Amino acid sequence: MMRETRALGRAAWRHLVRHPWQGAMMIIGVALGVAVVVAIDVANTSASRAFELSTQAVAGRATHAIRGGPDGLDDDLYARLKRAGVVRRAAPVVTQYVRSPQLGDRPFQLLGIDPFADAPFRDYVAPSDGLAVDDLSAFLTQPGAVLLSRPVAERYGLTPGDAFTLAIGGYEREATLVGVLNPRDDLRRRAMSGLILADIATAQELTGQAETLDRIDLILPKDAKAQASRIRELLPAGARLDPVGARTGAVEQMTAAFQTNLTALSLLALVVGVFLIYNTMTFAVVQRRALFGTLRALGATRQQVFQIVLLEAGMIGLVSTVLGVGLGIVLGRGAVDLVTRTINDLYFTLTVQDMPLPVGSLVKGGVLGIGATLIAAAAPAAEAAATSPRSALSRAGLESKTHRVTAWSAWGGLAGVASGLATLAWPTDDLTVSFLGTSLVIVGAAMTTPWLTARLMNGAGRLLGGRWRPIGRLAPREVRGSLSRTSIAVAALVVAVSVTIGVGLMITSFRTTVVDWLDTSLGGDVYVWAPSFGGTGSAATLDPEIVDRVRTLDEAERVDALRRVTVDSPHGPIQLDAVENPADGAEHSYLWTTGPVEEIWEQVRKGEAVIASEPLARRVGLSKNENALTLFTDEGQETFKVVGVYYDYESSRGAVTMWHETYRQLWNDPSWTALSVKLQTNADADRVTRELQAELTSIQSVQVRANRELRAEALAVFDQTFVITGALQLLAVVVAFIGVLSALLSLQLEKIRQFGILRALGFTAREIWGLITLETGLIGASAGLLAMPTGLGLALILVYVINRRAFGWTLLFQPDVGTLVNGLLISISAALLAGLYPAYRMRRTLTAHALRNE
Amino acid sequence: MTRRRIVGTSIVLGLLALGVLALTSLLDSDATDRPPTLDAVGATAPSNAFAQADGPRPFAFPEDHGPHPDYRSEWWYLTGNLQTPNGRAFGYQLTLFRQALVGPDQRPDRRSDWATDQLYMGHFALSDIANRRFHDAERFARSAANVAGAQTGPVEVWLEDWAIEWTPEGNIQARASQAGLDLDLTLAPQKPLVFQGKNGLSQKGPETGNASYYYSYTRLAAEGTLRLNGQEFKLTGTSWLDREFGTSFLSEDQVGWDWFALQLSNGTELMLYRLRKSDGTRSRFSSGTFVDANGGAQHLDAEDFRLESTEHWTSPRSGATYPVAWTISVPDLGVELTIEPKMRDQELSGAFVYWEGAVRASGRTNGESVSGEGYLEMTGYAGSLQGRF
Repeated sequence: MMRETRALGRAAWRHLVRHPWQGAMMIIGVALGVAVVVAIDVANTSASRAFELSTQAVAGRATHAIRGGPDGLDDDLYARLKRAGVVRRAAPVVTQYVRSPQLGDRPFQLLGIDPFADAPFRDYVAPSDGLAVDDLSAFLTQPGAVLLSRPVAERYGLTPGDAFTLAIGGYEREATLVGVLNPRDDLRRRAMSGLILADIATAQELTGQAETLDRIDLILPKDAKAQASRIRELLPAGARLDPVGARTGAVEQMTAAFQTNLTALSLLALVVGVFLIYNTMTFAVVQRRALFGTLRALGATRQQVFQIVLLEAGMIGLVSTVLGVGLGIVLGRGAVDLVTRTINDLYFTLTVQDMPLPVGSLVKGGVLGIGATLIAAAAPAAEAAATSPRSALSRAGLESKTHRVTAWSAWGGLAGVASGLATLAWPTDDLTVSFLGTSLVIVGAAMTTPWLTARLMNGAGRLLGGRWRPIGRLAPREVRGSLSRTSIAVAALVVAVSVTIGVGLMITSFRTTVVDWLDTSLGGDVYVWAPSFGGTGSAATLDPEIVDRVRTLDEAERVDALRRVTVDSPHGPIQLDAVENPADGAEHSYLWTTGPVEEIWEQVRKGEAVIASEPLARRVGLSKNENALTLFTDEGQETFKVVGVYYDYESSRGAVTMWHETYRQLWNDPSWTALSVKLQTNADADRVTRELQAELTSIQSVQVRANRELRAEALAVFDQTFVITGALQLLAVVVAFIGVLSALLSLQLEKIRQFGILRALGFTAREIWGLITLETGLIGASAGLLAMPTGLGLALILVYVINRRAFGWTLLFQPDVGTLVNGLLISISAALLAGLYPAYRMRRTLTAHALRNE
Repeated sequence: MTRRRIVGTSIVLGLLALGVLALTSLLDSDATDRPPTLDAVGATAPSNAFAQADGPRPFAFPEDHGPHPDYRSEWWYLTGNLQTPNGRAFGYQLTLFRQALVGPDQRPDRRSDWATDQLYMGHFALSDIANRRFHDAERFARSAANVAGAQTGPVEVWLEDWAIEWTPEGNIQARASQAGLDLDLTLAPQKPLVFQGKNGLSQKGPETGNASYYYSYTRLAAEGTLRLNGQEFKLTGTSWLDREFGTSFLSEDQVGWDWFALQLSNGTELMLYRLRKSDGTRSRFSSGTFVDANGGAQHLDAEDFRLESTEHWTSPRSGATYPVAWTISVPDLGVELTIEPKMRDQELSGAFVYWEGAVRASGRTNGESVSGEGYLEMTGYAGSLQGRF
């Protein structure tokens, strides 16, 4: 038995060797699918671990933290807690994102700690036996003294004693490296790769917050309710004690949606790859039905035939998985950069870079690749094993069976679409469920394609048959007749193209929405703000001198200041915009309001209410009836009435807008974050921008942008965010393209004999060429046509279901014709390209040659 | 006093452990066989950057109970023997050390409340004699942002929730707590201050300035409460306070010292210390003070007393062997005493390992039998301190 199986295996291997292109196509298809999954998984895992390490390096072993409002905690709170003896393990922390031109101009986290309190929390180096007291003395007493990990110092060529510049919130400060720390192990080395360590006093001075702390870390025992309440009794109104996990959890959750989207897209590439395997294996089985029939007639068991096909698939799966994982590693490097940059732009600053390759991602890719190949091959293998020796020798049997199957498949597909839509209608915020529904819809739609293709070909036959005899009639009939080999390829192409259309339409809609939103919300001509780090919500503040200067600008008609901070709420951190622009209320477009815009804005200005952004409203569950929003202020917990929900595409965590006076009453924070300048009609915005930038830099290195530039920058960030989506989309198309190419190629090459007969019957080489091209063109066109409604449907799902659930954004749907036509063109050109080689070969094949196969 | 001065210098040592401090995990046990891991620049301020104890000082109180930040080191050192109404005995030590990192002229102008050049180290130990349990704790903190510090008017010295303060009535209040342990004592002086050395200037070595300002309360009546693992005890007893500040007193060839502070039943007190040199001999700077029942102090030179160890105990933690029992004789005063530890294991195991514990004394003075209690400190047995300073 063993030996027979091995003999059969050799037969399988020989088949692959004799059809190298077929094997190669399959391998490329699967390899690409695996590569994309691996690359995205590597990127996601790396980003998550970088996040964990970034936070861990800073949070250390703290179980709880005490935080205040945007202006931090009064720094005598720490001594009050310590001297009251309510908590033993507590450590003050001052932390801020900084950059340094001497440190690669990338974000670093300046972490200010008290060395005497910090040991239980963070361990940065191995214990040393040769540390002199001098080091600590310099660290504590020398202004600007900081420590770096040795690898970081070496990378940037700094040695103890070197001074370097830190850019912090628009100011330049001088720091001196007084020592280097040797990370004990690789994990700590990575955690420290984004860290600048300073004494807490030094950090206060560098960040300009001389009397405040960012937080107090605590280590409380597991069941410390009594202790926690004793601590809470000592806290001032604006300070809160929270477990550490809750906060990082909230931040992590925000990127989860983004990462889930990427994973879904990467899985799609694999699904297309699986289609491809299924298609190719089916084809390989169909081609060799005669061989299998013979084998069965010679006494091979069903099981053996099943094994031979599976073995073939296994070999392909193995080779392509190895290739795919390798390619995935390469692609992953680029993807990590893109994902990290997007996270930095939109969510929080990742200071940890250069993550190691997550082995788990590679294993996942490997299992997926081989598993998917075997599953995809199982059906064709069963098909090969199930046919009786006699019927296997008849081709017509297969085709008629295929026609029955296409009808059933179409019904099944409809059922798939229906259940997918039902799943999507299920009200849940679980993205996995939403993506499951989406997949069901796409796969369901794809399953209807063979039947629809057949109908389309009937129509095409009638349409073309009259005009372009005999090819016009022959080609559609050929396509219909060969559905057993082509239907899967067509379905794969439909899936890939519809995804291209769907994602393309979603991005177009998104972009249009953002452009519209920028138009309405950017009411000023020139903007001035203090540099911060992307979506990190670090509360950079404008120097009061800058505010005064801009407010007295001659060309200004009016100047409005904005305070943007991140405040805490029972729902996690929320962006808060405190505005003084009396027209701000009118500069929003509203999802809903409780009354006319002028009225609700009047309420906001009186401090009676606030307005919230759509993502926030969705996250918190705000509605006209449930309109209470609770925030933690410096005066304690306050509940606000939300009188309107506006569209906002800036912060996916959600934002709340309130009148600046309300903010100043509740938060002890006199600063401004940004200024918007409305110029007099004849003023030149570009000139004012240039002059302001030049003038203000001497006070603080603020950003000054004209409206137009700011818009462009915002859109650049937007486009950047979708680079990876576009890349994935393209890869799915490439995989589908290979699928179609491989299917058509084998189909046409198999038909060489048939073409020989046609030549013998008097068809010219040109006519044969035309026939092939028309056939493949028809396949491409029908795939493209079928992909259009599917793609449109997918776009609607992405816009109205996925985006809303993942980010809480309402997008204006744009049924962009260009994107639709693009999809059609992609599929037709893929198919035409696939027909080129067979056509070229046919023209060169002599009739006699072609017929010699007989 | 030599003992305190070296302990004072051990702040430096403690800091050393601390320098590693923040920057390290204290949980790691195999610290010693790792390579040095922190390279840094900066220089320890030289002694001449600080004020020197180089001449007689007109002491002023209560101001001098407060801090002297221009001198490098300073401490408030309390030890005592206590008992419950039904005779259960406890010993305690509460010490707050101050150490300056830079001299007064080198202090940079800093804006932060947390900026400091003054650090505090605290040692708190309780000997639960009945249960043979020894509790000890060590803390470090910066003298900034109210976390730790010292002030005059009213005089208060604190390190987080450990504090020693003078009440308006001239009593001393001492408080400390640590993991299930709370001690709160009021200490009333029974005798006037004793100025050690020459009117409070205690010479430590041959050079000028190699000295400290030093005074003591040798007999304080203690009263207060102790909470130990949820149980509360009323306590009374006797305490001893040493106050010392100075800048330089470190001798090259010292390996450790043995120090005694004894309160005898006849109303007298005896303080003695022996400095051990690396060659095993005792330094000529060893000395002592005898305080008579009226508070009159008599200085004792190295030649005036003899110390013999009679019994040893080896610590299961550090492996150090300490001479825990002694005989003391001061021939001129007719003093012959036997000193025994109230319990053997009273070894502190912080950044700096030493033995400091409650002892009882018995013997005779001028032919009359006396008993007494006190504290004994022994350093330099858990490996030579020399290499580490």
